[in-house]
Amino acid sequence: MAEAPNRHSAGSRIFRSLLRLLPFDFRVEHGREMEQVFRAQRQGARDDGTVRAVARLWLDTVRDLITTAPRQHAAILRQDITYALRALRRTPGFTAAAVLALAIGISGTASIFTIINAFLFRPLPVERPQELVSIATLGDHHVEIPHGVSFRDLQDYAALEDVFAGLLGYQPDGAWLDPGGDGAERTIVEALTDNGFTLLGVRPAAGRLFTPADARTPVVVLSHDYWRTRFGGDASIVGRTVRLNGEVFTVIGVTDERFAGLQSLMRVSAFLPVSAIEFFRKDRSFGPDWFENRGYHELNIIGRLRPGVAIEQARAALATKVRVLAEQYPATNKNTRLLVVPETSARPLPQNGPMFHVAAAVLALLAGLLLCITSANIANMLLARAASRGREIGLRAALGARRGRIVRQLFTESVVLASFGSAGAVLLAMLAASAMERGLASLTFDVPLRVDFGVDWRVVGATVAVALAAGVIAGLAPALYAWRADVNSLLKTGGQREGSERGRLRSLLVLSQIATSIVLLVVGGLFVKTLDRARNTDLGFRSDRVLTARVDLSVAAYDDTRRRAFYRETIERVTNITGVRMAAWISALPFGYEQGVTALAPEGEAPSVGGQDHLSWSVSVTPEYFALANLVPGAGRPFDAGDAADAPLVVIVNEALAGRLWPGQRALGRRIRLNNGSLVEVVGVVKTGRYVFLWEAPRAMLFRPLAQDTPASATLEVWTAHSPMDVAGEVRTTLRAIDPMVPVYRMNSMANYLEQGQAFLLFRIAALLTGIFGSLGLLLASIGLYGVVAYDVSLRTREIGVRLALGALRADILREVMERSARLAIPGAVVGIALAATLAWGLRTLLMGVSPFDPATYGFTALVLLLVSLLASFVPARHAATASPLDALRAE
Amino acid sequence: MAVRRSIDHFLPLSAPMLHTLLALADGEKHGYAIIKEIARRTDDDVRLSAGTLYTLVKRALADGLIVESADRPDPALDDERRRYYRLTALGRSVAQADVARLEAIVEMAHAKKLRPRRA
Repeated sequence: MAEAPNRHSAGSRIFRSLLRLLPFDFRVEHGREMEQVFRAQRQGARDDGTVRAVARLWLDTVRDLITTAPRQHAAILRQDITYALRALRRTPGFTAAAVLALAIGISGTASIFTIINAFLFRPLPVERPQELVSIATLGDHHVEIPHGVSFRDLQDYAALEDVFAGLLGYQPDGAWLDPGGDGAERTIVEALTDNGFTLLGVRPAAGRLFTPADARTPVVVLSHDYWRTRFGGDASIVGRTVRLNGEVFTVIGVTDERFAGLQSLMRVSAFLPVSAIEFFRKDRSFGPDWFENRGYHELNIIGRLRPGVAIEQARAALATKVRVLAEQYPATNKNTRLLVVPETSARPLPQNGPMFHVAAAVLALLAGLLLCITSANIANMLLARAASRGREIGLRAALGARRGRIVRQLFTESVVLASFGSAGAVLLAMLAASAMERGLASLTFDVPLRVDFGVDWRVVGATVAVALAAGVIAGLAPALYAWRADVNSLLKTGGQREGSERGRLRSLLVLSQIATSIVLLVVGGLFVKTLDRARNTDLGFRSDRVLTARVDLSVAAYDDTRRRAFYRETIERVTNITGVRMAAWISALPFGYEQGVTALAPEGEAPSVGGQDHLSWSVSVTPEYFALANLVPGAGRPFDAGDAADAPLVVIVNEALAGRLWPGQRALGRRIRLNNGSLVEVVGVVKTGRYVFLWEAPRAMLFRPLAQDTPASATLEVWTAHSPMDVAGEVRTTLRAIDPMVPVYRMNSMANYLEQGQAFLLFRIAALLTGIFGSLGLLLASIGLYGVVAYDVSLRTREIGVRLALGALRADILREVMERSARLAIPGAVVGIALAATLAWGLRTLLMGVSPFDPATYGFTALVLLLVSLLASFVPARHAATASPLDALRAE
Repeated sequence: MAVRRSIDHFLPLSAPMLHTLLALADGEKHGYAIIKEIARRTDDDVRLSAGTLYTLVKRALADGLIVESADRPDPALDDERRRYYRLTALGRSVAQADVARLEAIVEMAHAKKLRPRRA
């Protein structure tokens, strides 16, 4: 009996769709037969009469196809790869050039990704890191970047138990750690709320970690790294004591190897409970109200979301809480807003997370552009190659190779190339990463930096993905060419006739490379110029021929009188060193991380302690500072020896502070009430400088006499007649002679300090990276131009030979070839300049006032590009023009 | 393209491949006939599915062990879309060599009194 036709076709349809698992060629070759076989088998099974037989057939068939298909695909891929490798080996010059170009182009992306990965993607090595969020304060108009949270606010936020499994606060701080009597060393410690380790799920490698039971006891947990390098991993350290800033702390344990602290920039040597901070910061501006006053925004906060809670819910809950607190504590919390982001988005430090994202986006964009140039370059090379292999392709097509198969073969070649390229790129990225690590390590900081630019699976994975994408994109052009090619004409001409359409495509590719490289060059040029502008900014203080060195008197446990005596005596003795013009002390250098804000109010107004109405940055200086810094008060006088500890309290304000406290009025002679209640008189007004960022809006600054506000730690500035580092040794000896117990650190020239610190470092990095991208882009584009012109010339060898034989002038040939490349370079440059101007306009806020249309930069870039493209085309042009007509004719 | 290689190069044959060549030893067959022949001869112990069979056929064609036969039975008797395969001289030699190899092994087993017990 005939089976029902619809059932027949349903089964066949299913089988046919299963066949789609097989490679196309296999299907074309044997698909129909397989279907026949299957149908016959099914008929046989039905004739058997059991449902089981039919079911078994289906089961066998599906299993069979699932195991056969991957093997067939692999076999074809192997064949394609073997063929591609053989083809690439036949043209080693081409292969080497293409792999090198790819490696350079992709390494840009890989390197940028390495940086981004180190900061943004790599999760903290703790339990369920994806649940962690960073919480920072915004909306305090004196500190424009995200910053910490007060201890009281932290406790209120932590009460939101619906959304948070817990909140922890931490604060990295420089500290003198004396591991066992042989001298203190400058390190970074992290103060962590008592619940911190438990909340993170960090485990001890030795001893135990602190818990809320250790609150307010001087205990310390060593980092694994410090334990290994300083104590050789000796577990008996547990129970012993170390000195932190001169105070005795008991070591209770060591963290596990992977956990290196919560911030990703500095190497942390130890952790202590925040509640024990009073022991640790006993000597500094740290009062008992640190835990009570909501004005101290010092703790960085990390929260762990409850499972299933989205970050938006946490934001909403916190926003409500912030409103409640603002009503309860208007003096301190009136303007508070919070920035709540995933922990990975708050790196390297919560303060610069958002800025880092902008920088990362710009760099990723530049890397993407470089990648575009690379792809266009490779596409062009492959296109030329496909054309010169026209006869081979035609032959294969004539022998019956399917068009799809040939296209796939060409694709395989470009992907194989890209794979080699990605291997080279990973290698280059590793070199770049270690160069970056060395560069960071060479910066003179007093504490060891810890940035691990390790190339991990994410970097390799991303690089390979990018390389494959580049390979596929670059492979499109030749594949399209082969797809459209006409077998007959290929066999006849060997593909050696440049089709006008393909010629246009190739020209377009070169043109876009030139345009993109202009964009990269212009951006690089603008950032180089910005760096120059930054270096020439009037900072408001002297920076050349100045030596700086910091001391910490807290280690020597001085009282105020002894500190004043120390500061006084050092100035006298240092000034006597030959080559020293002047010396002065300042409590915190501009652009450093020791500066702080203080609350104040004009006399007569109620002081709002910790409030945000009148906050000003504040430093203490010795009288010599104003002359040394070339900061002559425009009104009033500098400090002098008379402004002693027991004299009337005086201050000098900058114009920004004067304008804010007494707008449009004279500030001289007026009095200010400080947050400790004391009244101080303004004796001088100086012009506003730059204190935290180069690009900052005018910032209020208060100068106090060091004798009236004596810090435990300060920086000595020494103005010298010649190179400042010449006197460094003698300054150190002098300081040591006064008290060998006082540690001297961060000795550096002011110029170096600015170059390597917050002032210029970002600008230098920006100029360096964009400069590198610009140069690589130019290099790749010139290779591309060279390739096209050289190929052009090789196609016209015969024609040129004929013309030379007929008496054409070599100069004419040369000019003609050069003109052809100018026809590519000039429109490319025009398009590139337009694109560059658009991008530069978008970046204008980062340019420190350098015009995004700076004519010098654009002009110089255009000139460089013109010269390079002339050079790139001159070589093949000369080759063509100097060829002997006979050789040229014989070449075909 | 069939490349003539030394016979040893192909040895040992996989069991399904040997069965396939054996099935073609006494005349050309189409795919389903090969499967049925093998199943019949092995009492259904070896039942090839279409994917496996055509993987073997593809390799055997590429290696020149079999060729597609140009002769077709009377179209009235057969579906004309079916393709028939025939053993080549090389295929025959390879199959013979593999059988000889197996015989040698069996002889060795006999000499060592290593014989399966037959029910």
